[in-house]
Amino acid sequence: MEAPVQATIRSLDPRVTRLSIPQELPEFTPKPPLDEWQTYEVFHQARPGEQPVHVGTVHAPDPEMALVFAKEQYARRGTTYSLWVVRTADIYAFRSEDADIFATVPEKTYREPHDYKVAQKLLRLKRKSHGSSAADAPASS
Amino acid sequence: MYGNLSIAEPVRGVEQEDPEKLAEFEERIARGEKIEPHDWMPREYRRQVLRMIEQHAHSEIIGALPEGTWITRAPGFRRKLALMAKVQDEVGHAQLLYSAAETLGKPREQMINDLLSGKAKYSNVFNYPALTWADTAIIAWLIDAGAIINQTLNAKGSYGPYARALERICKEEAFHLKYGYDNVVTLASGTPRQRQMLQEALNRWWKPIMHFFGPPDHMSVHSEKLLRWKVKMASNDEMRQMFLDAYVPKIWELGLTIPDPNLRKNPETGRWEYSDPDWDEFWRVINGNGPCNRERLAVRRMADELGAWVRRALLKPDHRYVEPLF
Amino acid sequence: MPLPPPEALPALKDLLYRMADDALIIGHRHSEWTGLGPILEEDIAFSSIAQDKLGHAYALYQLLHELGEPEPDHAAFLRDAPQFRCCHLVEYPNGGYDFSLMRHLLFDLAEQWRYHLLERSSYEPLAQLARKVRGEIKYHVFHATQWVVHLGAQGTEESHERMQQALLQALPLALGIFEPSDFEEILVDYGIFPGERVLQSHWWETLLPILERAQLRVPPLETLTPAYGGRRGQHTEYLQPLLDEMTEVFRSDPTAQW
Repeated sequence: MEAPVQATIRSLDPRVTRLSIPQELPEFTPKPPLDEWQTYEVFHQARPGEQPVHVGTVHAPDPEMALVFAKEQYARRGTTYSLWVVRTADIYAFRSEDADIFATVPEKTYREPHDYKVAQKLLRLKRKSHGSSAADAPASS
Repeated sequence: MYGNLSIAEPVRGVEQEDPEKLAEFEERIARGEKIEPHDWMPREYRRQVLRMIEQHAHSEIIGALPEGTWITRAPGFRRKLALMAKVQDEVGHAQLLYSAAETLGKPREQMINDLLSGKAKYSNVFNYPALTWADTAIIAWLIDAGAIINQTLNAKGSYGPYARALERICKEEAFHLKYGYDNVVTLASGTPRQRQMLQEALNRWWKPIMHFFGPPDHMSVHSEKLLRWKVKMASNDEMRQMFLDAYVPKIWELGLTIPDPNLRKNPETGRWEYSDPDWDEFWRVINGNGPCNRERLAVRRMADELGAWVRRALLKPDHRYVEPLF
Repeated sequence: MPLPPPEALPALKDLLYRMADDALIIGHRHSEWTGLGPILEEDIAFSSIAQDKLGHAYALYQLLHELGEPEPDHAAFLRDAPQFRCCHLVEYPNGGYDFSLMRHLLFDLAEQWRYHLLERSSYEPLAQLARKVRGEIKYHVFHATQWVVHLGAQGTEESHERMQQALLQALPLALGIFEPSDFEEILVDYGIFPGERVLQSHWWETLLPILERAQLRVPPLETLTPAYGGRRGQHTEYLQPLLDEMTEVFRSDPTAQW
């Protein structure tokens, strides 16, 4: 006796009909851990001279495949000069609760260009050396 | 293609959070700051954001199926290429969204498990069949239009990785919308048969489109907290009104009829009025009894099964899963 | 547009139809995976390759159109199987991902060589196209090689065995790519294309090291029976149903704008 032929899904999508999917859903077996592989972080540089920027992640079994996948997921539109991938597990970062270590005390203005009023000093110097007498620039900085 | 807490779940358990941290968190959001994956966040915020991004990701991957119905039959090179690119984008969006969701600590296998087991929800609209070529045109134009309204709003939401993913997605949706519109206008200016095909597709899709933004506000769970946390950016009714404002005139302009005799903009309130789009049907479909729920799930399971040997082959013992950073 | 000498025209058209039909049909087959691929990232990657193939087909039909043949949509959507000049390899149903990937490698390696040789074709529009698609096809070969080597040599016993079976199935079909043509001499004489035999030997030489890296056993060439016929319009039982499906909407009204 032949085994009874199980009815399969007839779909509007001919591709689906061809898959011969049983009408009755079988018991669901969950995917094992890491079935979707590990992740890689993707960096994209649009043109030479531009900064490479982090654009997202891909799941891949190894760096070579990660590059193949990154190309189509992050570079299928627009211009691309280079792509890098690095295993997420290989990235070291400060923890967000340590974000306060980046706080800069505002007094450290000597690191900023606006703290240097060279133009005014220069003006004073010029006036002095050319013997300007009428109105000296106020000594403000 | 779609992401919306169209059925909000009540926010719960917030009172158990550290009040000082909670206040600081809410201040950050009020200032317009984004929340990044490793920042402190209320457990309920994490749960709600994760649920939303996951639903959105599932909708994209399932959303590839109704339009995929016509991928082998698209008429002519231009349409064939564009439809392939569009369905490809939907798969790409799913990938981006699953990545954003993973930053909240749930590996992709687990999310896909929840989809395949039937536990997770996705947008109802994809449980309807694409009967003819014109259905793909209506989907690409109007469903994607709805998605853009929703996603443009959500791109301003508070969770950094989701907002970033949506920004990228919105750029691609702009192509979908334009492609869909071009497709619809072409059919509308075509032969009588093409016009009829288009009108019939619109008739079929109008109800799912009205359902798209979720049940009306008076039937929904109050979501002030979600609005304050910028998880939800507008109410279901607000988004539906935005959609009607933008697209009803465009549909009428094509000489098409919208299958709702009561649809009109009330000149006094400035709001659209419409017939009850059968919210019972909405609930039936979301609970698994729509025309295509079973098929969609069966196809996803089959696809996963067909690829299992490939994934298994390249799984290495030294693989270590770490949440994506960003 | 520079026209080839009239006596070379049928030979040139035959070559272009072979190439265009191959690209169209394999692109169509690849596109059947869209949304159903083994993992999201690969689904996206394979769809791009399918789109590239259709793009190449379009460009080749456009060249034919400039030589007096129908416009690309009509060439692709209104002919029936006996008028097609594709090889049997591209017609076969996708089967599993093993067969799809193996076909992809065997086909694209031949494409890479074919276009490489055509970069110096005396028919300048074809030479130009060959230069234009160089990068895309290089990527297709890279993608295919990565997969076949990974699943052949770096995977499981199961994946190795699947790739081995896929190779045995696909190899005789792939030899059909190089089915000799009656026009070979003219193509060579006029400097249009150095011929299928030259192409096949380049292909075979580059294929062997890849299959070796994939740790796959290659049957001796002389034991294989090439699947010929496609280039003369004799096709497998799979082509006409594929065309019926592909053209269903277009043929419902070929005069309409779609």
